[in-house]
Amino acid sequence: MIKESYNVTDDIELIKASLDGDKKAFGQIVTRYQKMVARTVKGMLGDSVFAEDVGQEVFIKLYYSLSEFRGEAKLSTYIQRIAVNLTLNEIKKRKKFFSMFAQKGNNEMYEFEVADHNTEERREASEIVNKALLAMDPKFRIIVTMRMLQGYSTKETAEILNMPLGTVLSRLSRAQEQLKNILEKL
Amino acid sequence: MNSSEIKKLLISSLDSDADTIEVSGKLQEEGISYNFSKSFGDKVIDRIFSAGVTVIREVEFVKNLNFAFYRIALTGVAAIVVLLISIFLMEGSISFNSFLGLSDSYDESIVCLLTGN
Repeated sequence: MIKESYNVTDDIELIKASLDGDKKAFGQIVTRYQKMVARTVKGMLGDSVFAEDVGQEVFIKLYYSLSEFRGEAKLSTYIQRIAVNLTLNEIKKRKKFFSMFAQKGNNEMYEFEVADHNTEERREASEIVNKALLAMDPKFRIIVTMRMLQGYSTKETAEILNMPLGTVLSRLSRAQEQLKNILEKL
Repeated sequence: MNSSEIKKLLISSLDSDADTIEVSGKLQEEGISYNFSKSFGDKVIDRIFSAGVTVIREVEFVKNLNFAFYRIALTGVAAIVVLLISIFLMEGSISFNSFLGLSDSYDESIVCLLTGN
């Protein structure tokens, strides 16, 4: 099971301590949610050098917006929203940058390193997932990342992306079509 | 899991009624997991609690300033081109006088205007 559930009371206590300038408390928030952020950011950007920077930006932005966190949503949802927004901004920036110099497709924009895996089969699986994700349109890629890598339901995906459920469902079916086409070529 | 099984799993994960938790769990079992470097947490804390963030903000400011400059410069160039075209259409030429709106004035009339004689 990927989707972690944390004690909300703990989160609120950690936030309060962080707001009082407690480094360790914020460090605990980072440790607790960094894997979740990594899945979103690296799922969207590939295992690239930019991904780590964007990941850092997510937590820096979180730190500076902690005082605005009202606790209406879970902290994980709040962090996911920041991660999604910053990742989509990064994709836009990179797209703009690359379109200035070369006409390349999205899938050629990032170099990604495949992490060390025990077997060739695992390496191949990882490559398939990364290549398929990077070849997808970002608006579909984000939905696939939320479901496939994070394990969120359609309703949770809609909540995080701040989209109507119907939009998520229609994008899901279009994403499935696109994914089928991409996987046929891999 | 071989590649065709992985592909099937990926496609089925996008069915609206798919068990997403099970799919993500299976993918993780296949070694598809993401994480940042070991020093990630320390780097974040350093960036927040040191002068680093100030530097980053300054760099961001310079980037934004550059971006704004290019936008303003492009708009300015576009406005000048439109102005030149409209002058050409109205006056039939793009002389310095027509650019300054002096096409109907003689030098003497300007001297009179300036000296009051």
